[in-house]
Amino acid sequence: MKRETDYGQPIKAVYTPKDIEDLDYEKDLGDPGSYPYTRGYYRDGYRSRIWTQRMTAGLGSSTDTNKVLKKYREMGQRGGICVICDRAAAMPIDSDHPIGRKEAGILGWPGSSLLEFEELMDGIPLTGHSITLLGSSACSALRLAYLVVLAEKRGVNLQEVHGSITEYPFANYFGQTDGQPLEINLKLLLDAVEYIIRNKIRMRTGVLSQHFQESGGNNAQALAVEMAMLDELCGLLVNERGLDFDDVALFPYELVSVGTRFFEEIAKIRALRRMWAKLAKEKFNAKTEKACHLLVAVHTSGRTMTYQQPLNNIVRCAIQTLAGAIAGCTAIDNACFDNAHAEPSPLAARMSLNTQHIVADETGVTDVVDPLAGSYFVEYLTSRVEEEAYKIWSGIEALGGMSAALKAGYIQNMLKESMQKRHREMESEERLIVGVNERVIPPEEDFEIPIQEVQEHDSENIARRMEEWKQTRNVSLIRETLSRLHSDAKKGSRYNLMPSIVEAVRSYATAGEIMGVIRQAYGLSYDPLNMIECPFELD
Amino acid sequence: MDNGKRTKVIVSMIGLDGHTVGGEVVAGILRDAGMEVVFLGIYQTPEMIVQTAIQEDVDAIAISSHASNYNQIEELINLLRENNMGDIPVLCGGTIPKQQIPRLKAKGVAEVVTPGNTSEVIVNCVISKVKSTVGRES
Repeated sequence: MKRETDYGQPIKAVYTPKDIEDLDYEKDLGDPGSYPYTRGYYRDGYRSRIWTQRMTAGLGSSTDTNKVLKKYREMGQRGGICVICDRAAAMPIDSDHPIGRKEAGILGWPGSSLLEFEELMDGIPLTGHSITLLGSSACSALRLAYLVVLAEKRGVNLQEVHGSITEYPFANYFGQTDGQPLEINLKLLLDAVEYIIRNKIRMRTGVLSQHFQESGGNNAQALAVEMAMLDELCGLLVNERGLDFDDVALFPYELVSVGTRFFEEIAKIRALRRMWAKLAKEKFNAKTEKACHLLVAVHTSGRTMTYQQPLNNIVRCAIQTLAGAIAGCTAIDNACFDNAHAEPSPLAARMSLNTQHIVADETGVTDVVDPLAGSYFVEYLTSRVEEEAYKIWSGIEALGGMSAALKAGYIQNMLKESMQKRHREMESEERLIVGVNERVIPPEEDFEIPIQEVQEHDSENIARRMEEWKQTRNVSLIRETLSRLHSDAKKGSRYNLMPSIVEAVRSYATAGEIMGVIRQAYGLSYDPLNMIECPFELD
Repeated sequence: MDNGKRTKVIVSMIGLDGHTVGGEVVAGILRDAGMEVVFLGIYQTPEMIVQTAIQEDVDAIAISSHASNYNQIEELINLLRENNMGDIPVLCGGTIPKQQIPRLKAKGVAEVVTPGNTSEVIVNCVISKVKSTVGRES
C-alpha cells in the first residue's frame, strides 16, 4: 500500500515538532476568528452556528421534487434546502426539446421555466433558511431571475433571501457540462453577480473545486484550481465591473469535495481558509474582516462511493462527514450510499442525514473549534498542501490565469493525468478500496439496496406538460420581452442583461427560449444541439 | 480479426450525459491494449454515433453511461439494425443499476461493464464480443 498523500508526497511514520518548526502560531494559524483564519472564522465555532445539514434533491417532476424537499425536512434537514436541476435545464434546453424530452427529470429537477420554480417552491418559504440551486453555470442568471420574480410575487424582501443559485463558469471542463461557450457563461455570471451585489442580495455564487476533484483531481490541484478561479473572477468583478472588493469578496462560496484521506481532507480545508485570507488581504487589499472569510461548504465525495457492497459507503460517508465537521464548514451535503447506482432513495437520503446528525449530536465534534490544530501531522499536511497548491497555481498564473490555462488545455491535461494515475493505483493495488480491489465478494452475495429510477414515461409526461403549457402563454408578451433581450444582448459584454432576463422570465419565457435568443445575439445557433429553430419572430 | 486490421472501437457518451471520466479512462485502457479508439465525447445522439460507425467502419461501440439515458441506447441499437449494422456489438459501462442490466441485454446490448472492473476484464470483454460477432457472420 502506498504511504503518500494523494498528491504524491511521502508520509513518514511519525511527525514531531521538527516537522513544523517553521510554523508561527500568530502568523500562520491565529486563534479561531483571527487572521489568517486557518482555524476558522468564529471563536465559538459550531456553538454559535451549527453547519447546515442538507441533502441535494431533484428527480422527476417539480412537484415530485417539492414533495422530496418536504420529506427531507421531516427527516431532519436543517438550515437550508439544496436542489439540482436535470440535464436539459442545465444546458439549458426545454423539457419538450427533442433531446430534452428524453432526459427530463433525470438526475435533477426540470427547472426550465418560472412555472417549474413556482411548483418546486410551493409551500416552502424563501426566507429563514438558505436556498441553494445547483446544476450548471449556463442557467445561473435564469435561476436568479426566477427568485427575483417569485420573491416579488410573494411580497418577500429579496434582501432577506440567502443561499446560492448561481455557479462558476468553468464546470464545463470538469464533467458538469452545459451547452454554452465559456464566453457566454462568464458574461452572464458576471451580470448576475453584479446584479446581486448592486441590489444587496445575500446570495452567493458557487465557485467550486468539487467538480474538478470529483473528476479525478488531487487535493493540492483542487486548492490551486479553486484559488485560480476565485482570483480571476474577483479580478473581473473589481476591474471590469467596477465593484468594491469588500463587496465582491462576499460573492463566492466553495464546495469542497471531501474524500477518504481523512487528515489530508482536513488539512486541505484549513489551508484553503488561509490561502483565501492572504489573497483577499495581500492582493485585493481587503478592508473588512468579512472579506477575508471564504464560505466553505462540504460535499462528501461521490467518487468514493463504490458500486460493489454499497452499504460500505455509509461508513465512508461517516468518515468524510466527520472530516468536514472537524475542518470547520458552513454546510454539508452527502453523497449517498447508492450514489454509484442511482439518485438517492428515501432510505439512502435518511441514512445520509442521520450520518450528519450522529456526527453533530453524538461525537462531541461541535464542542471545540478546530480540534486538530497543533497536531504535528495535521499542521505539516496543512502547510504542505498549501505549498504544493501555490506551485500549481503559479503554473496556471504563468499561462495567464484560469481561462487562459483552460484554453491552453493545461488544466484538462493535469486532470487527465491525475485521473489515470488514480486508476493505475487502484489497479496495481497501491491504493486499496474495500469491495473493489480487496475483500471482493461474488456479485450474487452482494447487498441488495432499493433503487430510485425515473422511467421513460416520467420524462415524456414532463415534456408533454411543457408542450401543452407553452400553448397557454401570452405569446405576444413573450415575443416582446425576448426581442428586448435579444437587442440588449447585442450591446456588448458589459451591458448587464439581468433586467431584461428578469422581464423575460416574468413573461414566462422558458430557459431554452431565453438562452436561445442570447445565443443568436452572439451569432450562434438558437439551439445548442442544432435541432430546433427559434419559435418567435423577433423585432 | 486476423486480417491484420486493428480492432476499432467508438467510445462515446450519449444524449446530455456530461460525465466523461469513465469514458476517458476506458478509451485509454483500450488504446493501451493496442486498439484504435474513436472517442466522440459528449452530446452524441444515436444518429451521430451511427454516422461515425459507418464512416469509421468500427468493430464495436462502447457507451459510457451515468444514470438513466437508456432509451437512447435502445434507439442506437435499433438504428444500427435499420442500417444493417446490427452485427456491431454495443457495450455499455458505467453506473448502471443491477436491475437495469438484464433489461439492457434484452434490448440487444452485448455486455454491461459495471464500475471497478480491471483493465483486463474490460479489454477481454471487447475482444470476446467482437470475436463472437465475427464468428456469427462466418
